[in-house]
This record gives sequence, structure tokens and C-alpha cells, in this order.
Amino acid sequence: MHSAVAHHFESLEKQGQAQRLGMWLFLATEVLLFTALFAAYGVYRYLYTEAFAQASRGLETWLGGVNTFVLVTSSFTVAMGLDAIVKGKNRRTALLFGLSILMGCVFMVLKGIEYRHHFLHAELPGQFYGGPIAGSGGSMFFALYFLITGLHAFHVVVGMTVLGVIGARAWMGKYDAQYHVPVELAGLYWHLVDLIWIFVFPLIYLI
Amino acid sequence: MSEHSSAAAATAHSHAGRYLVVWAALMALTALTWGLSTVHVTGFGGVALALGIATVKGTLVALFFMHLWDQPGPNRLVLVTSLIFVALLIALPLLDNATRFPLANPPDAETAPQRIRDAILNDAPPPATAHPAPAHP
Amino acid sequence: MSHHPESSPPVYAERNYLNTPATGLKSWLFTLDHKRIGVMFLVAALIFFAVGGLFAMLIRLELLTPGPTVMDAMTYNRMFTLHGVVMIFLFMIPAIPSGFGNFLVPIMVGAKDVAFPRLNLLSFYVYLLGAVIALGGMIYGGADTGWTFYTPYSTTTTTKVVPILLGAFILGFSSILTGLNFIVTVHTLRAPGITWNKLPLFVWSIYATSIIQILATPVLGMTLLLVAIENAFGWGIFDPARGGDPVLFQHFFWFYSHPAVYIMILPAMAVISEVVCAFSRKNIFGYKAVAYSSLGIAFVGFFTWGHHLFTSGQSAFNAGVFGVLTMFVGIFTAIKVFNWVATMYKGSIDFKTPFIYFIGFLFFLFFGGMTGVALGTVSLDIHWQDTYFVVAHFHFIMVGSTIMAFLAALHYWWPLMTGRMYNERWGLVGATLVVSGFVFTFLPQFLLGNEGMPRRYYNYPERFQALNVASTAGASVLGIGFLIILVYLLVALRHGRIAGTNPWGSRGYEWLTTSPPPFENFDVVPAFERGPHEYHQLPAPGAPGAPGAGHA
Repeated sequence: MHSAVAHHFESLEKQGQAQRLGMWLFLATEVLLFTALFAAYGVYRYLYTEAFAQASRGLETWLGGVNTFVLVTSSFTVAMGLDAIVKGKNRRTALLFGLSILMGCVFMVLKGIEYRHHFLHAELPGQFYGGPIAGSGGSMFFALYFLITGLHAFHVVVGMTVLGVIGARAWMGKYDAQYHVPVELAGLYWHLVDLIWIFVFPLIYLI
Repeated sequence: MSEHSSAAAATAHSHAGRYLVVWAALMALTALTWGLSTVHVTGFGGVALALGIATVKGTLVALFFMHLWDQPGPNRLVLVTSLIFVALLIALPLLDNATRFPLANPPDAETAPQRIRDAILNDAPPPATAHPAPAHP
Repeated sequence: MSHHPESSPPVYAERNYLNTPATGLKSWLFTLDHKRIGVMFLVAALIFFAVGGLFAMLIRLELLTPGPTVMDAMTYNRMFTLHGVVMIFLFMIPAIPSGFGNFLVPIMVGAKDVAFPRLNLLSFYVYLLGAVIALGGMIYGGADTGWTFYTPYSTTTTTKVVPILLGAFILGFSSILTGLNFIVTVHTLRAPGITWNKLPLFVWSIYATSIIQILATPVLGMTLLLVAIENAFGWGIFDPARGGDPVLFQHFFWFYSHPAVYIMILPAMAVISEVVCAFSRKNIFGYKAVAYSSLGIAFVGFFTWGHHLFTSGQSAFNAGVFGVLTMFVGIFTAIKVFNWVATMYKGSIDFKTPFIYFIGFLFFLFFGGMTGVALGTVSLDIHWQDTYFVVAHFHFIMVGSTIMAFLAALHYWWPLMTGRMYNERWGLVGATLVVSGFVFTFLPQFLLGNEGMPRRYYNYPERFQALNVASTAGASVLGIGFLIILVYLLVALRHGRIAGTNPWGSRGYEWLTTSPPPFENFDVVPAFERGPHEYHQLPAPGAPGAPGAGHA
């Protein structure tokens, strides 16, 4: 029996199955966590349609667009990382994960540039709002903007950390073609971060 | 569906080609939705279009990058179930705000009668008639 | 119940989870054994129950007379907030799933442990951390918002609401981890022979509970975080002065907190389905109906949250939709009630302490459920909203039923968990006092509410005093009942009669092991050939699963 099998599992395969299901359940909680913010976005976009459209037009769409390309590509490299370990090439997995982390950094830097821009123009949530939009719509947009992108950025940082740890362990040869469930799970988490951004991008920047 | 079928076996052989195709599709769809936004399809159509494209992209990520395409039933069921509740949590509060008596929405919401919004935006006291009598019969 | 004098005297399993692999404090604090973690959850939950109960007694004492009785108005506000937070987040939500569920689910599916033992231990410590932060906030200043944290009051109050919100936020993680663990355990660790249709009903109900915990808790977490942000920084998400909608908070809050009622009641139903079979000595009536109705309740429970918002400014259209959807919960609950009653029919009923609690449970569930259907009717709710009628209703259905099931579970599985019996005579006394005390506490509150006494008020007119005195008197009986139970259970821990294997003659899978169970649950994993509630074929006396085995 493989050394990674815990005492209460009959086989490595069964354990992997349990870990995957556990990860999916965790991802479901993440989805619901974001959903509360998306629901608030939906309600306030309905109540302040014009203000939201105006505020959205004021954003740097190219930053959001480039970030989408970056994140989608990082998801691709993570998937290729899993493919590498399936073939037993653990160092290639580590390198691909490193590349993904690098793209995560690019994402965060672009996000930072954007945030700096908003701070300089006082496009801030609630009582701190000093932007041009009259009424409550503008401050509400930026409250949701910072909540949604902030929570997402937090997940990007957590995801980069996870990729870093798992990538390092892959480099050290902890995983092989038979046993690589942690690589798979780290990938799942990163793909979810990507998946959520795929919805954030149109909601915040495009419509 | 049997959960005893191995998901590990499904990832045992290479999916590199599949990943590449999905990545290309995701990039193309991102470019498409970005491009369409510059055309300014307004109103509900624009929202539906953008979210439709996002849903296609999300489905591609979930099915292929996240391997739901060849995973056992329970894992798929988890995501599908969570999406039911995503729909629920978004739809019912929205339905509430959409069907409310207008004055029960926040005071300067765009759904409120225009004269009351004007009064609030101009920082003047609301018109006297607005207070005791509802806007609609 | 038949006795078999010829069977051998009951044996205390000497090698058990209490002394294997070690006995020291450290071996408990770092244990990964689901049974020990379950016991630790139970002990912690019982301590918080005592704290919450103390606050309840102080509240009832204050309401004995109109005007100030034992505390000032601000203390009173903090007291009912604390009572709600402690009872709901620290006792009722974790008690049965994290306590009994942890102990029993792996045994009932024939597994050695839950799927992720480390997460399980983490869940316990996260629970303790959340409890310490929430209670720390209470000592540090307390909040006066009530456990519902309604905006805009919760975002403008100067009391220390933020630490309590963070405490509840952290407690949510504990709930999620436990739920996740159970779902994966049931899916992947069932022993050969235990198919989905041979799963004990306890496991079915806990499984349904876990689904709610997974799907609803994150939304509460986000909502509490939003309130904390709003309270600390004024971002305006729920603040009408900044364009926010306070009713949206109520939507989010009840999206969790209404299903949370089912997080409390479904595990109670889990216990009851086991107890009714064991003490009627009869197969469960309609196994599949009882099993699937748990999933039905879990599902439909998500569609009804708006009935808390009938008078809050929600649209009349939405109120109508939610009013109708609310009624569906009644259907699934009724399926269960009918099946339990039908299980008793022509059974060989054994009037032991757990059965008294079962009867109490049925009464509270039925009475509370019927008043719930009444409250779910929009027009009636307008009269009863925020009165003591609502207080009495949810104390009956949520607190009464859950506590009845909790006590039934505590007595029914006490022999399994400790290897010893409690004193049956004192058990009956305690059960009688608790059931009747509960009725006398909350029945007057239905009347008070109907006459118009609002909930959470510090003061009330003279004409309400008689019923308030009656309620406080009932609460005292309830308190005495709990004290008696505490004393005889503590005595039984050391001096109780040796229970032996399966003292109730139950057919549940968990009784196939020795009392207390060994470290990895079964010395030899049984074949699980029969169903978990099959009483029509009784085994030979003295065998595990035999009636009266251990009753020498």
C-alpha cells in the first residue's frame, strides 16, 4: 500500500475520491460566499442602473481585459502542470506552477495600479466616495467593486500560496504519476479563482 | 452513476491537447465579449450576451480544466446543486426589489418616482404630496 | 421488555476509545478519533447550554414584574442577545451534528473514522476560537442587537457588535468543516454491505443537515462580514442613508438562518427516527419516505426564508410567493410525523426515558409546526410579527424539539458512550420535569403574544403580569429538571450499572459494537447483512443486537 494512504481508507484510489469530493464541497462553499456579493450587485444594479453603467464606463476596461487574459492563461499552465505530473515529470509541474504564480503576480500588480487610480480619484466606497456620480449609485458601485475584487484578490493570493507550496513539494519529488491528488486539488482551487473572475469581468467592466 | 469508478484513471492519460484547445477558446471568447462591449449593446440584451459568454467560458473551465467531464457523479452534483442556490439567492431578492412598492426601495433608487429622487439629489425637502399619499392609486 | 436471566452478566469493554491509545489530557486535546472529538463537542456544547440557560433564567426573572426587577434595560438587551447567540451558534447548531453525529456517523456506516480526521479536530478548535471571540466580545461590552443583528441598528449601535459578528463568522467555518466531513464520509467510507437504502435514518438526516451547512453557512459568513465592515467603516451596503437596502440584509441573513432552523431540527429528527424504532421494537414505517423527506426538508427549507420579512418592506408579491412555499415544509415534516406515529402503532412500547423525550418531541414538533403554518400565512403574521407568539413558536419547534431529541440521544446513547447506565427512575423524573416545564414556560407566551406583548421588550403593562409569572414559574421547573439530569448523569459516569453490549436490544448498527466502542469502532467489522431498523427477526438472546442482552 502507498505510504500516503491514511489508516481508515482501504486504498489510495478511495482516498483520492474522498479528497476530490471534499474539495468540490469546499469549492461549493466558495461559490456561495461570492454569491452573496453577486446578489447584492444584482439588486443594486437594478436599483441604480444608470449610475452603475456610468461608473463601469469610468473603469479602465483594458486593465480588466488584460487581467482576464492573464488569469485564463495561468489556469491553462496549471492544467498543464497536472498533465506533467500525470506523466511523472514532477519538475515540469513545479516550473509550470511557478509560471502560474508569476501570472498571479502580474494580475495583482495590475489590480494594484487600478486600486491606486481609484484612491487618487476618491472613487471609494460609501462615505469615502468623492467621485462625479450624483446620488448613492456611485458609492454603492465602488463598495461592491472593492468587495468583489478585494475578495477575489484575496483568493488569488491564497491560490498563489497553495500553488507555491504544492509546486515546491512537486519539485522535491513528493508526487509521482501514481499519487498526485494534492496537485489536482491545488489546480481545482486555482481554476475556481479563474472561474469567478470570468464572471466578475463582464459584471464590473463590461455591462 | 457509480462513484466507485475511478476519477484517477480518467486523469491517467495526457489531456494536453484538450487543455490547449480550451485555452484557445477561452482567449477567443474573452476577446469576443470585450469587443462586443465596445459596440454598446444596451439594456437587457447586453447583460444577457455578456453573461451568456461568461457562462460558456465558465462551463469550459469546469468541464475540462476542472475535469468534471470525466469525473464521477457526486462531484458534478455538488457544483450543479450549488448553482441552484446561487440562482435562488440572486433571483428572489431581486424579484423583491422589482415588485416592491416604489417608496419601499432606498430613497434615491432609480425605481423611485422622479420628483422624489430630484428632491433628494437637490438636497431639498421632498414635495409635501409625496409623504402622505402614495404615488400610485 | 423481556429479560433473559440465563444470559451472561453485562461486560464493560475494557479496551475502549476512552483508554486507547492513551488516557492523558494531551491524548484528548490532539486526538483524531471521531468519538473523542464528538465527546469534546458534547461537553463544550453542554457548558454553553448551561451558560445560555443561565441567561434565560435571568431574562425570565427580569420579566417577573413590570419595570426593573433585577437588571437595567441595557443589561437586559445584552442578556437576550447573548442568550440567542450562545444557544443558537454555540449549542443548538453544533450539539447534535458535531457531538452525536461525530460519535455515531462513522460507526453507523461501519467506518473506522470520518474521512478527514484532522479537519474534524480543526473544526473543534475553530468552534472554540469562535466561542472565545464571541464571548470575549460579550464580556468586553456586549451587543444589544439581538442574535439577528438587524441593520441599520446593528451598523449604528455603539455596543461591541463587531467581535460577536466575527465570532459567529468563525463558528460558521466549524459548521462547514463538520458538514463537509460527514458528506464525504457517507459517500466514500460506507462498509461493504451498507448501501444507500440500508443507511441508518440517523445518517440520512445528518447527511441532509450537512448539505444545508455547506450551502447556507458561507452566505451568513459574508453577510456578517458586510455588517462588520459597515459598522466599522460605513460602506453603506445596507444603509438607506447611503442608498443601501436594509431589507437586503434580512434576505441574506434569513437565507442562512431559516435553513439553520433545519440544521437544528433535522439532526433532532435523526435521533427521533432511531429512538422510536428502538423503543417501539418495530421496523420503521416507510423507511424511504422518512429518508427522502429529510432531503426534501433540506431543499424546501431554502425556499421559505422570506416569511421572516412579511412586515419588513418586502414586496407583497414576494410575501405571497414565500408564504406559499413555506407550506411545503409542512408536507415533508408531516410525512415524518405520520411515519413515526405509524411506527409506534402495534409496537411493543418500552416506556424508558428516551421514549418520554420522543413523546415530548412529537408534541412540540406538532404544536410548533402548526403554529408555524399559521405564522406562515401572511395575513396572520401581520398580527403576530415580533410578538411573544413568535417567540413561543420558535422555542417550541426549534428549541423544544431539538432539546427533546438532544436529551433522548443523550440517554439512548449514554450506555454506548460511557459503558454505564444512568438511573432510570431519576431519568423519568427529569424527563417529566423538563417536558412539563417547557410546556409551562412557553404556553403562556403564545397567549401573551396573541394579546400583543412584543418580544424583546424590557417593560410591559400590568395586565400581562399573570402570564409572565406563569412563564417564569415554568422556566424554574425546567431549570430544576435540567439540574436533576445533570446530577444523575454525573453520578452514572462513575457509579452507574455496567451497561454491556446493546442494553436496549436495539437493532441499530452502532449497537453491534461493544460499549464503550473500541478505538477503531469494531474489533471485527460486521457483515451488515440486515437493515438498521429490522425488528421482525430477533437474534438469539445475549448476542449483539439481542433484546435484553446485558440485562441480567
